[in-house]
Amino acid sequence: MKHLKISFLIFILSVGIQNVSSHDGSPHVTPGKSKADSQEACVEPTELMRKEHYMFLLHQRDETVIDGVRTKKHSFANCIDCHVSYDEQGKAIPINAEGQFCQECHVKTATNITCFSCHAAEPRFPQHSGMTSKMNSNDINELVKHINNDK
Amino acid sequence: MINRRNFLVKSASALAITFVVPSLLSSKAHAKKPLAQKVTDKQSWGIHVDAGKCVEGCTACVDACNEENGLTGFGRPETDSQWIRKVTVKNKTTDKITTMPMMCQHCENPPCCDVCPTGASFKRVDGIVMVNQHTCIGCRYCMMACPFKARSFVHETLTQQNTNAPRGKGCVESCNLCVNRIDHGSETTACEDACNKAGHSAITFGDLKNPTSKVRIAIDSNSPRRLRNDLNLQQKVFYSNI
Repeated sequence: MKHLKISFLIFILSVGIQNVSSHDGSPHVTPGKSKADSQEACVEPTELMRKEHYMFLLHQRDETVIDGVRTKKHSFANCIDCHVSYDEQGKAIPINAEGQFCQECHVKTATNITCFSCHAAEPRFPQHSGMTSKMNSNDINELVKHINNDK
Repeated sequence: MINRRNFLVKSASALAITFVVPSLLSSKAHAKKPLAQKVTDKQSWGIHVDAGKCVEGCTACVDACNEENGLTGFGRPETDSQWIRKVTVKNKTTDKITTMPMMCQHCENPPCCDVCPTGASFKRVDGIVMVNQHTCIGCRYCMMACPFKARSFVHETLTQQNTNAPRGKGCVESCNLCVNRIDHGSETTACEDACNKAGHSAITFGDLKNPTSKVRIAIDSNSPRRLRNDLNLQQKVFYSNI
């Protein structure tokens, strides 16, 4: 039975990892870093993203607001989720704060970012936004503990 | 001890449990629109409010809406945003007092969209009337046009918005039937969840075009009415027992 549970847990974990999305409410916390720091490439080639990221956002924003398309690839929320940095306490630093990902480049190029007058600059979700039930790391730890205790 | 046969049987069971059981449990979720697909007119979202079940003094729906959409007040009730509010009315003939939630009525013929100079106020093909805040210029014509006072204008600089509900100074906003949740496959709105949790179940959300949806069942069994039916706005929010 224990083996069955462990196999089950392994499958749950592997499936769970594939399902990670920007909208599940669980930040990808890497203290002192962003998730993007550990990625090899952005959703499009880096050179293209540097010059044209706003075009992708502009296209996606109309598709999302008017047509209800909610894909993650060019989603603004997904950009924030991946590029936001976390301090040593694991708390997200607003991405438009001084020296942070968006702000740093925009200061250098003397371009105002108006996105953040309306959009959240860090991953923020209401407490009960568990519309798709996803296990967080605490749940998984609890489950592992439970299985280990269940001889 | 585990032998080869046991291992294979258990692994296969685990596979089945992992993939088959969740798919059975969430069969409704699988019927939802894929995230990449545009919304269609095959669905038409609406709400049924049973005012007979709505309790005076209860603000569960209002609080849930505020939390879901990150609506924080500035202590100025005249101008603070409200996407849903509680209204108490009295029938002058019978003295019957009714309390009910009032929000955007998601009209089929929305006057807010008629008057919007930029097209920011629009009706999605699935019937949700909402504001495209990217193109809203904050003229507030829609607020004047709405017979239900459903819209609010953001007067103050905002911070700490929710990721799922971008909103900012200079734009008009109103109930969007929790559009983000709906697009991600949720079958309830925040206000409906809260009303059910409070034990009143006065609010029922769902697809008006689906004859077996809970909102259709509620409408068919209650013969509700639309507010200000004389305006012929064909709202998708229905009220019973007013």
